[in-house]
Amino acid sequence: MSPATLLIIGIIILSAFAFVIWPDRGILARWKKIRVDSKRVFIEDALKHLYDCEYKNTVCTLNGIANFLGISNEKASRLANLLLEMKLVNILENSIQLTAEGRSYALRVIRIHRLWERYLADQTSLGSTEWHKEAELKEHSLSESQVNELAAQLGNPLNDPHGDPIPSEELQMPEKRGEPISALKNGEFATIIHLEDEPKEIYAQLVAEGLYPGMQIRMLDQNALRVIFEADGEETVLAPVFAANITVIPIKEKENIQESFHTLSSLKKGESAVVAGISNAMRGLQRRRLFDFGLVPGTKITAMMDSFGGDPIAYEIRSSIIALRKNQTDFIYVKDVERRSKNV
Amino acid sequence: MFDQSACAACPAHNINNLVKLGIDMKNFDYVVALAGNPNTGKSTVFNALTGLKQHTGNWPGKTVTRAEGGFKYGTKKYKIVDLPGTYSLLSTSVDEEIARDFILFGQPDVTVIIADATRLERNLNLVLQVLEITDRAVLCLNLIDEAQRHRIKIDDRALSKELGIPVIPTAARQNLGIPELLKAIDEVATGIYVCRPHRITAEFRKVSRAVNDLQKKISREFPGLPNTRWIALRLLEGDQKIINALKTGELQNLAVNTVPD
Amino acid sequence: MNRLINNSKDLILASANKMRWEIGESLHDSIIEAIYKDAEKIASRVVIKDQAKPKFDWDSTIDRLVTSRVLGLPIMVLLLSVVFYITIVGANYPSDLIADVLIGKIYPWLKSTAAALSVPSWISGVSIDGAYLAMAWVVSVMLPPMAIFFPMFTLLEDFGYLPRVAFNLDGIYKKVGAHGKQALTMSMGFGCNAAGVIAARIIDSPRERLIAIITNNFSLCNGRWPTQILIATIFIGGAVPAYLAGVVSAASVVFIAVLGIAFSFLVSWGLSKTILRGEASTFSLELPPYRPPRILQTLYTSLIDRTIFVLRRAVIFALPAGVVIWLVANVKIDGISIAEYFIDSVNPFAFLLGLNGVILLAYVIAIPANEIVIPTVLMLTVLVAKLHGIGAGAGVMFQTDSISDTASVLQTGGWTLLTGINLMLFSLLHNPCSTTIYTIYKETKSIKWAIVSTLLPILLGFIVTFFVAQIWRLFVN
Repeated sequence: MSPATLLIIGIIILSAFAFVIWPDRGILARWKKIRVDSKRVFIEDALKHLYDCEYKNTVCTLNGIANFLGISNEKASRLANLLLEMKLVNILENSIQLTAEGRSYALRVIRIHRLWERYLADQTSLGSTEWHKEAELKEHSLSESQVNELAAQLGNPLNDPHGDPIPSEELQMPEKRGEPISALKNGEFATIIHLEDEPKEIYAQLVAEGLYPGMQIRMLDQNALRVIFEADGEETVLAPVFAANITVIPIKEKENIQESFHTLSSLKKGESAVVAGISNAMRGLQRRRLFDFGLVPGTKITAMMDSFGGDPIAYEIRSSIIALRKNQTDFIYVKDVERRSKNV
Repeated sequence: MFDQSACAACPAHNINNLVKLGIDMKNFDYVVALAGNPNTGKSTVFNALTGLKQHTGNWPGKTVTRAEGGFKYGTKKYKIVDLPGTYSLLSTSVDEEIARDFILFGQPDVTVIIADATRLERNLNLVLQVLEITDRAVLCLNLIDEAQRHRIKIDDRALSKELGIPVIPTAARQNLGIPELLKAIDEVATGIYVCRPHRITAEFRKVSRAVNDLQKKISREFPGLPNTRWIALRLLEGDQKIINALKTGELQNLAVNTVPD
Repeated sequence: MNRLINNSKDLILASANKMRWEIGESLHDSIIEAIYKDAEKIASRVVIKDQAKPKFDWDSTIDRLVTSRVLGLPIMVLLLSVVFYITIVGANYPSDLIADVLIGKIYPWLKSTAAALSVPSWISGVSIDGAYLAMAWVVSVMLPPMAIFFPMFTLLEDFGYLPRVAFNLDGIYKKVGAHGKQALTMSMGFGCNAAGVIAARIIDSPRERLIAIITNNFSLCNGRWPTQILIATIFIGGAVPAYLAGVVSAASVVFIAVLGIAFSFLVSWGLSKTILRGEASTFSLELPPYRPPRILQTLYTSLIDRTIFVLRRAVIFALPAGVVIWLVANVKIDGISIAEYFIDSVNPFAFLLGLNGVILLAYVIAIPANEIVIPTVLMLTVLVAKLHGIGAGAGVMFQTDSISDTASVLQTGGWTLLTGINLMLFSLLHNPCSTTIYTIYKETKSIKWAIVSTLLPILLGFIVTFFVAQIWRLFVN
């Protein structure tokens, strides 16, 4: 065969190979998604939806299920009958309710989903918009003992990274807390406790605004067109549809209210400041590593050296020199910045 | 049980748990654990104590596999176990769990904590955490020569008073302070020196009531348990090892060494 | 009774769980804060810092220098170049000396002793020509560079300079999803990939550590430098005018090494985006204070810990490989050796890659150490081409006295400039040696990662040499 033919064959084989193994869109990735037992997925997703209705005290209808799962009403009613046969639900005149058995099944699925999101958020470098997607796949495949092991390894966490409670091993859940952001009066302080992760587009927008559970906000103004509030010192404007997906708890005690701070990344070489806090968006291993270096509120910190590219920067913390990347220092808040003194 | 606590010079270690942790204690009288931050010269101290040559380097986290050695002091034989270097015992990394479990459940006769004298404040984080779970410890204030070079002086006697354990300044690279360290280890192991370890005094924001409440319940269930507050905090943090130890009643073993009233 | 106790234990847990929901997850933060508060209080009582500024602060002066935008990079390049230069040049003399003793003196003595004792030829073949010779080769080529490189590297490490290198270069490594410390494991890999893999322990983030381990093989290790230099001198140096030969062949070797670095970045990026996407990842890098290195201690420990350790593993793998090498060349079926059968059957495939069956077989049987690839290639070439009077007999590895002798052997074997270039590429992009593979398995405790690290570079090698060969044949011939 001539080299030209071989060259073409080589390119074809290589592209075919890429086509098969390409992440997310390749044949292999698609096949993995299909392989997940689709009937089980429908059952579990429907139960999750029913539980969600129950938790939020709203009525769940066949229509709602069809919408949530993206299937026709006819298919949804077949699914509902299947659930009834499995004794997981009771079908009433115009609503569908979980049986005790159905509820604990739903909670088991929710537990896996939220634990897995928590794992991804705490211990991997996956972005916040990917947590939910990955967990949607994982929730149908982990066994109970695997889940308990995961929970133990994570230190039996209470909440998923969106602020939703994780059912305990005994499948207990706390009461629903918090109120919609629209319930806040102008000037009132509050802590975000939950960002709804469905629909994806709205969640992505909230993340893009830099919002996260645990963040402190102050309501500035709201009307039919927009909700304006201060978040970590920055004014944020959202349409009411978007704001409706934020759940908050008002802050009563004065002492807990944060002032507006600078981020550590704004500190220039030679400048010092006092650590005010670490954002709750800095989670898991990352957060604990910072504690290990003694980076806790009240610690004095000085920017010492730049690396070749300007990121990371080395800081002096409790007489040690620690290099931190910008994606870490953006989430560390400082106060009492001592601007660089004139060179003597 | 009474006999054991009456004998001040008797080994205090938990032989069953040590064997479970893979320590062969056949020919040894006492077991010493070596804990410390990474890059504090822990391996150098280990080598100085045992006469072994393990590579040490100017890098955090060199020792990955657990090293063991032994030494003799007077007529007593000591087994020494080099724990992984960690900054803390509270995070969830594997290394920290190994170190924590060894000190808590193995109950070594002495835990030697190596601290870098040039960064005492940061190192005290680990020291204070260790003192929460054991009351037989010696602080080895290593790299004292480096501290001098950086014009840092440490009042080791005052520090010893603050922490309630012997504090020995050393420069393990020059073999300085090692005989004193050996003596302190021996004194704590044989009960000549009785430690009064510092326990964290600061109040934890918002939670002190919950902690107190839980603490009471635990001490009712496990009489004689030395640090119920620490156990309570671990439970509130969802620490699975402690939850399991409570479920199985293993926690009671940790109370054996204290005199029941 | 027992039941009652269990119940009260469960009660404690239940009430703890209830409290957890009320307290929330900020407890960990408050505990750490409380501990540091105590630590600060105690430290403030016992630490006395001399407020007077010292006359000269060495640490920050050195730090300013090595991280400075103007001088930082030249200092780094200079220091590392000096280390590599001393290693490559300085290793020649002791290498020759050891080879002279092990291969020049002891080997003939063993052979004549065996003959005098009338040991059957297959026994002396397997044990002396096979196992002993492979071991001798590995020791003489591997020991001196490692004994020079590791102590020097360790001195830089102990002094505290290497963490600054990691700091300076972290920005680049971050872009490909890796850790700045990978710069060091990579440099260590230029000495020996097995040592580089072990060095990846300094990276405490699981994902970045795996990336460093898998990509370490793209650092051209000590065992491969001689192959590169030899082939570049013969084929690339031979293809240009004589007065340019030295410069061009040296440049081509450097190009291969730089290509390796480029591949390590590319593969790091690919791994972090695909199979390692979901692995645990954090960043932390402490810059320890400078400490005067203790030279004698360092020499001793780096010799024991790194050199002897790696050498021991290499020798353990070299002995059986030597036996295999001798057997494939000497066990004959119908008068044709196993080696020839294999070479004939893979020749068509090897042709596609611009290589030949001898090279592929050499890389299969010389898996314990890259050092013995060239002696094996020479032995097999002589065997296949039925040359007489060259080498030390069938199935005995050898090296010629001069480069031109080697060149003539290879040319008789049908080698062209393309073969030379693709051998250089394949020497960079092929499976790690068995010592390294075993070390990867030991370090990751995972067969999966050992297999990935083995197959990934060899796959890349096939792809790259295939395309180079086709394009070469299309445009050059």
